[in-house]
Order: sequence, then C-alpha cells, then structure tokens
Amino acid sequence: MDALSALVEGFRVALTPINLLWALAGVTLGTIVGVLPGIGPALTVALLLPVTFSLPPIEAFIMFAGIYYGGMYGGSTTAILLNTPGESASVMTAVEGHLMARAGRGGSALATAAIGSFVAGTLATAALTFSAPVMANAALRFGPAEYFALTLLAFVAVSSALGDSTMKGLASLFFGLVLGLVGIDPLTGEARLSFGIPQLLDGIDVVIVAVGLFAVGESLFAASSIGLDPESVIPLRGSIWMTREDWSRSWRPWLRGTALGFPAGVLPAGGSEIPTFLSYALERRLARDPKGFGNGAIEGVAGPEAANNAAAAGTLVPLLTLGLPTSATAAIMLAAFQQYGLQPGPLLFTRDAELVWGLIASLYIGNVMLLVLNLPLVGVWVRLLAIPRPFLHAGILVLASVGAYSVNRSIFDIGLLYAIGGAGYLMRCREIPLAPAVIGAILGPMAEQHLRRALAAAEGSWMIFLTRPISATVLLVAAGIALLPVVARRWSSAPRERRTQPSG
Amino acid sequence: MLCRWPALFVLLSALSSPSVAAQPLDAHLVIVAPAAPGGGWDQTARALQQVIERHGLARIVEVQNVPGAAGTIGLAQFVNAGGGNTRSLLITGLVMLGATLWNDSPVSIAQATPIARLTGEYEVIAVPAASPIGELHQLIDVFRRRPEAFAWGGGSAGGTDHILAGLIAEAAGVDPRRVNYVAFSGGGEAVAALLGGHVAAGISGYSEFAPHLQSGRLRAIAISSPSRPPGINVATIREGGLNVEMVNWRGVLGVSGLSNDDRARLTTLVSQAAHSPEWQKVLLEREWSDLYLDGAAFDDYLAAERTRVGRIVARLRGPARGAPIVAGQRLVPIAVLGGAAVVFGALVVTQARNRRRFPAPSSPVRNRGAVIAVALGLVMFLVLLQPLGFIAAASGLFVMTANAFATLRSRRQQLWTIAVAVVFIWLVHLAFTDGLNLPLPHGTWFDSPVLGSLTTGRAWTR
Repeated sequence: MDALSALVEGFRVALTPINLLWALAGVTLGTIVGVLPGIGPALTVALLLPVTFSLPPIEAFIMFAGIYYGGMYGGSTTAILLNTPGESASVMTAVEGHLMARAGRGGSALATAAIGSFVAGTLATAALTFSAPVMANAALRFGPAEYFALTLLAFVAVSSALGDSTMKGLASLFFGLVLGLVGIDPLTGEARLSFGIPQLLDGIDVVIVAVGLFAVGESLFAASSIGLDPESVIPLRGSIWMTREDWSRSWRPWLRGTALGFPAGVLPAGGSEIPTFLSYALERRLARDPKGFGNGAIEGVAGPEAANNAAAAGTLVPLLTLGLPTSATAAIMLAAFQQYGLQPGPLLFTRDAELVWGLIASLYIGNVMLLVLNLPLVGVWVRLLAIPRPFLHAGILVLASVGAYSVNRSIFDIGLLYAIGGAGYLMRCREIPLAPAVIGAILGPMAEQHLRRALAAAEGSWMIFLTRPISATVLLVAAGIALLPVVARRWSSAPRERRTQPSG
Repeated sequence: MLCRWPALFVLLSALSSPSVAAQPLDAHLVIVAPAAPGGGWDQTARALQQVIERHGLARIVEVQNVPGAAGTIGLAQFVNAGGGNTRSLLITGLVMLGATLWNDSPVSIAQATPIARLTGEYEVIAVPAASPIGELHQLIDVFRRRPEAFAWGGGSAGGTDHILAGLIAEAAGVDPRRVNYVAFSGGGEAVAALLGGHVAAGISGYSEFAPHLQSGRLRAIAISSPSRPPGINVATIREGGLNVEMVNWRGVLGVSGLSNDDRARLTTLVSQAAHSPEWQKVLLEREWSDLYLDGAAFDDYLAAERTRVGRIVARLRGPARGAPIVAGQRLVPIAVLGGAAVVFGALVVTQARNRRRFPAPSSPVRNRGAVIAVALGLVMFLVLLQPLGFIAAASGLFVMTANAFATLRSRRQQLWTIAVAVVFIWLVHLAFTDGLNLPLPHGTWFDSPVLGSLTTGRAWTR
C-alpha cells in the first residue's frame, strides 16, 4: 500500500521527542486561546499562526495541528461550561453540554467531547489518508442545488430541536431567520433590515447571536431567580470521569457523528454546522430515552462534537487535493502552506510528498496530544463551575462582552450582544427555546444563498432541484423525515416508540 | 570656518525635516487592514509592517484589523476618524472601490488621501476542461447568443470578478445587466463550482486558478493583463479582440485632509519600503506583481478607476435601484418576514386565549430588581468602555454583576469582590492585548495631547 508506506515515512519524520514537544506546545497554546469566548478555531489559528513561522516546515505543521485541535477543543470547553460557543459548529455542543454541566455532569461532558474529538479526528484523518482524491472528486458533483437540498434537510432534521411546543419553537426559529436576514444581500448588494447602520451591513455574527441568547440571556435569567430559587447549578456530582453508562451511550454517537461529519466537511460548501445539526437530530431520534434530550443527554454532546471534528478534518480533503479552502480555518491553513512555498492542490502529493505526509502524520500526533493534555485537565476545568455564582456570572458577562468585541472590534457589537441577550431573557421567561433561533440564524442565510445561486444558474427554473439526482434524493429524504412522524401517527395510535430510520 | 556651514546645514535640515531617510520617520505607525486576519489585505498589511520595521523606517508598526463589508467598514472608520491621525495607512484596493460603489456606501475612497499603489494580480477567465469553449471569441459567441443562459461564477457581487464580467459584456456589446453572474462567498467555493461544472465560466485571480490550470482540470481562456505576463502563457483579453484590461490592485491610503508635508512623509516611507529588497522578496514569495505607483500618477490612476468602475457598476445594476438581477431575490425576505408575522401573531393570540382560559398568573415571580441591576451594569459598560477604557469599565461591570448576584454584602465581601474584579479583568486584558495582539479600548479620557502622541490608534477602537 503506497499511502501506508508514505504515512510511515511521515511518522518517522514527525515522531521525534522534540517534535512531540512542539505538538504539546501547540495544543497547550491552542487550548488556552480557544477557551476565550468569542474566539473560535479560525481566529485562534490566525492569531497563533505567526508563532509557527520561525520554525522549519515539519515542526511548524506539527505545532499548527496542535493549535488547530487545541483551539477546537478549547471552544467546546467554554461552550459546555459557560454556554458561550465560539463558533457556529459548537452551538449544538452548548445545548446539551451546558445542561449536563449544570446538572453536575460537566466532567463527563468534557470527557466525551475530548474523546469524541479524538476518535472522530483520528478516523477522519485515516479517511483523509486513504480516500482523499476519490472523495474530493465526488464532492465536486455537489452544486448550489444540492447544497440547498442539504440545508433544507438540516432544517427538517433539527426541527426536533424546536422543543415541546411547536408554536414556540417556530417563533424562535423565525426570530433567528429574521436576524439572519440583516445585512447586505451578497448577491445584489442591497442592504436589508440594516436601518442605515454601517455595522449591520455585514449581518449579525452568529457568535454574537449564540453568546447573546445563551450566555447573556442566561445570566439575566439567573439574576431573575436570585433569592427565589435554590441553587440551580450543581458544580459536580459523582465522579468527574465518564461512567460505564456514559461510555456505552457515547461510542455509537461518536461513530455516527464521524460518519456524518467527514463527508460534510469534504463538500466544498458543506460547512461544519450542518453535520452537527444532523448528528444532534439523529441522536435524539435514536436515543433510548428521548426525554433525556433537553435535560442534558450525553449523546447530544458526543455526536455533534465528533461531527464537528470529523468535518474539520474533512475540510482538509479539498484543501490538500484541490487547493480549495472551504472554511475560514482552511483559508488560514492555505496561507500557512504558502508561507513555505507549498501550493496545495492536485500536484501537492507528488511534488512535496514528504511535507504532506509529515503534515498528515502530525494531525494524528496533534490528536493524541489533545487527549494527553486535556483529559487530565477536565477536573480543573470543571472547577470553573464551583466558582461562587456572583463571580461566575460577572466573569461570564465580562468574557462574553470582550468576546463579542473581538469579533469585529466594534463596541456596537457589544450593544447588539446585550440586545440579543435581552431578547434571550424574555424568551427564557416565556419558555421559548433558544436553540432554534441560533439554528435559524446560521442556516437561513446559507439556504438562501444556495437557493438563489441554483436558481440563477438554472435561469430561474425550480425544476433544477428535482432533475438533478443528488438534490432530488436529498429532498426525498428530507420529505420522508418531515412526513414520517405524521404518517406513523396516523398508522398506529400507539405511543411514539423508538424509530431507527436513517437520516442523511 | 565656512566649510563647516554645509555640514551644519545638513544637520539642521536632517533634524527639521523628518523625511530624510537616515532617521526613523515615525515612532508609531498604524496600518489598518480593513479585513479579518488571513486575507489578502491583511497579508499585505503584515508584509508591509515587517518590511517597515526591519528597515527601521518606523519604530513600532501596528496592524489593526477592521473587517467588514469588503473593506467599507474599515474605510468609513478611517475616513471618519478625521485628520488627526497622520501616521496611519489604510490598505485599499479595487475590491474596496467596487464595494463602496456597489453598496451605495456613504463613504468614498476619494475622501481619503491617496499614497501609493503597491501590488496587483491579474484576473483569469477559465472554463472546465470538458467545456467545448477553447478561445475567447468562442466564449463571446456563446455568451452573446443568450447572455442569461451563460452563468459566470466568481467572488462577491460588485467585486473585481463581477466588474470584469461587466466590462467584458460591455466590450462585447451585451447589456451588462443581462450578465448572469453567480456570486460565491469565497474563491474556493467559486473554483469548486467551476470544477464541478455548475457554472459555464469562472473569473478569479490567477493564483486561485493556477494549480488547476497546471493539472489540466481547468482551461484558461484569457488573462486581464495588458500583455502576457512572464511565465504565464495565456492569451490576453485584448488578443481575444476585446478592449478590456484590468488588474486587482492593492495600495495604501492616508487619512482625509492630510497636509502635503504629511503626505510626502508617508509617501517617502512607503516608497522606501516598497523599493527595499525585503519587499521584493515578499512579492516573489507571494507571487504578487510589483505595481508601485505614487504621487500624481496614482491620483490620476485612482480617478480613472473610480470613473470606470462607477460606470460599470451602474450598468451592471441597471437604471433602477434593486432591479431584479438574481432570481428569487425577494422570495426569502418575504417568506421569512411573512412567516415571522404569522407565527408571532399566532403566539400572541394563543397566549391571550390561554390567559383568558386560565386566569391564574402562569409566570412565576421574578426578582426584577436583580435583573435591572445586571442590565444597568451592562449599559454602564457599554457607555463607559470608550471613554474609560476596558479595564475600568469591565471592572465596574464585574462588581455590579457580582453585587446583583450576592445576597449578603458585607464591607469585607465588597472589597474582596473589587480585588477579584481587578485581578480578573487585568488578566483578561493581558491575554487579549499582549497575548493575542487584539487591542481593547484603553480610554479616551486618559488621552492628553502628550499621551495621545504616544498612543495612536484610539480612533479605530470605536
């Protein structure tokens, strides 16, 4: 096997004590920066990239891989513990993960996220090693019509996240969709709902929507129950380590999340959010106890976290084989390659084989280092929740504010964060779920772009969604998911039981 | 005795005129990259920063990222900051010019002071390898026959790729409004759509296409340069019979109303940097073409570009503002706003009905006072961040929130809270400013004229 011997060679280059030290340094730096709220993996990598410039290529890539994985995991840590996701791909992690943390199971949530990231990262890197060119070519068959079908599928699938009352879930979803409309329409240059405010022209950053609704809204809500409610956050209950039951509930979501995340990452416009939504929806459907969702279900952390990491590794496929940066992080990695005179693309594997395989080997190493560094630290991180409530919420508000500021370095964004936080508080008071709003703000603009690109390329003909086989298939699956519960309910009046139809 | 005079004169002029090369020109220079870290403008800013610092042309060079709306947010801040900040440069380019015109931006590049054009990249028109089109005249034939059926893929609307599509249509005698341009959010997405055959032709910078041209998956049809650039064997658009030339240039601007002296100083500084061997090395590494141009020549160039791009943007958009360009333009906003109105209406109605049916108050008692206290802390932070700076404002927010959450408040606890707040805020400040080089507002109230000269750049932290 050619790839295998090349990979062994790559490991031979990468596995020296000093390189392992670089990997550890990278993971440490990445985790520390990633933990800061509002700073997602893309910004972490961009900010720390200059650190690697002084190193020779192999060492730099090893450190870089460490920074990348560390940044992703650091973001999940704050999403789980403080409910401040740093990027749209960790929104679903925050939903169940933070509920787990509040119920004293933050340790398990962090551990399942770390191990899930490791499993997904390793499997996805293996898939990258052996199937990159094939996958990349298949992914090119996806055009705007297919992407629109995919976003529609994600919409249908996550409607299960709408909560108990459909009406309230829809209200939340539409709130998010309206937020997503704000800004310049990128296809015509027309400003929408921006009321002449220049800072709104680029739209509202999803990080601000998520942190505003989740973190600021929650701090206000927590304030509203001071002196009326018993302590609602239990810092730690039982072992900080994953129990046997946690393991048995986590391993399947890890694998399913990987299976969803990797192909979605390979798609040039797939993004890493959609697989996390699909994974969450899938786990909720497959869960032995669907009632656990909404009360901190470990499957809801394990699946999306694995999907997120697998998608991140997936984005390396188009980057390395086609030279296409398909995410913000990938675009920065491209800049890193170019720093060393490497031009990712079809010729990379033949021209700079040693470096590429060194990089792939360092991805494996970075992944292992992530686990080595962060598993022992889970106990330390969880202590964050033991901070007295006044300090905890004060700290969350300060960090959320500074995080919102650092996205665009604009005080206006802090005001926006607070306004959305106020809306989040009112929604909490009326028991309107928050997650659909964030999902709407993420998926709405995506769906619209893909829809209109597809229509433009087809001269306005809607038939394009049905005549293209992949798009038609995905739409059929989406329709199936939407209609199945209705049909099933009519079929038998028996209480809802566990269903295992595939989705996506 | 007399022979000493010239020496003294040189010394005096060296002291009085800061544009002499031997001395560092400025203590602190700010380069504003109107984009997020990582992009082309940011790379230009950081490369320039390194060259200027290494050459000792300025002691401290700070790069500030002000991302948003294709550089127009950065431009607006730069222009609105007024003439006070004579030691700052804004990275600009054709993309920003196109965006200001395309978005009807209230600010214009003309409000800033031109300093110099630095680099540029030529645009390439390419088709997938499987396409029957081999040369520009064939492409133009297909395009002319039914312009609407010929989908061009490229970067954002109003960007360089879109403008080139418009210029080509105009030169080919097709109304630019009939150009079916599919805007993608990034170069990568556009190339992927072209590789997958989802659009008929693609327009992008040469470097974006280069690997695919070499591997044979894409075929270059024409390049937008005046003549074939060295090492690139692609026919020019002119060779294909259309009188179109374009370069995606990047340059630097000074603040509006810059005095002639200040402008000359900045021009000298940029010129020295751009003619240094280090800069030439950067150009070679990044495959950027050297397009250095300053002074009156750059003024003229900028004016000509403004006229040309303004004309083509107006024609691409059609006579009426918001003429339908892309199918489905109104669909989603109407669906979303209409749907939102229906859902919110229904929610209000059902809640009112529930209230009538179950008159008992369903909402539990809430501690309104604490919520208001926290909200006040947030408002205070928002108002005081700019004048007092991050450390003071955030400490206030921390203490106010902590007090709102604390049920018991002894003097000791108050002091303890303040101590925790100051240490925590200081650590956060350290992490963001020194650790990550992401400056936080340091407070305009503390700026005396003396302090202000040491700490430039406050105007950007708006």
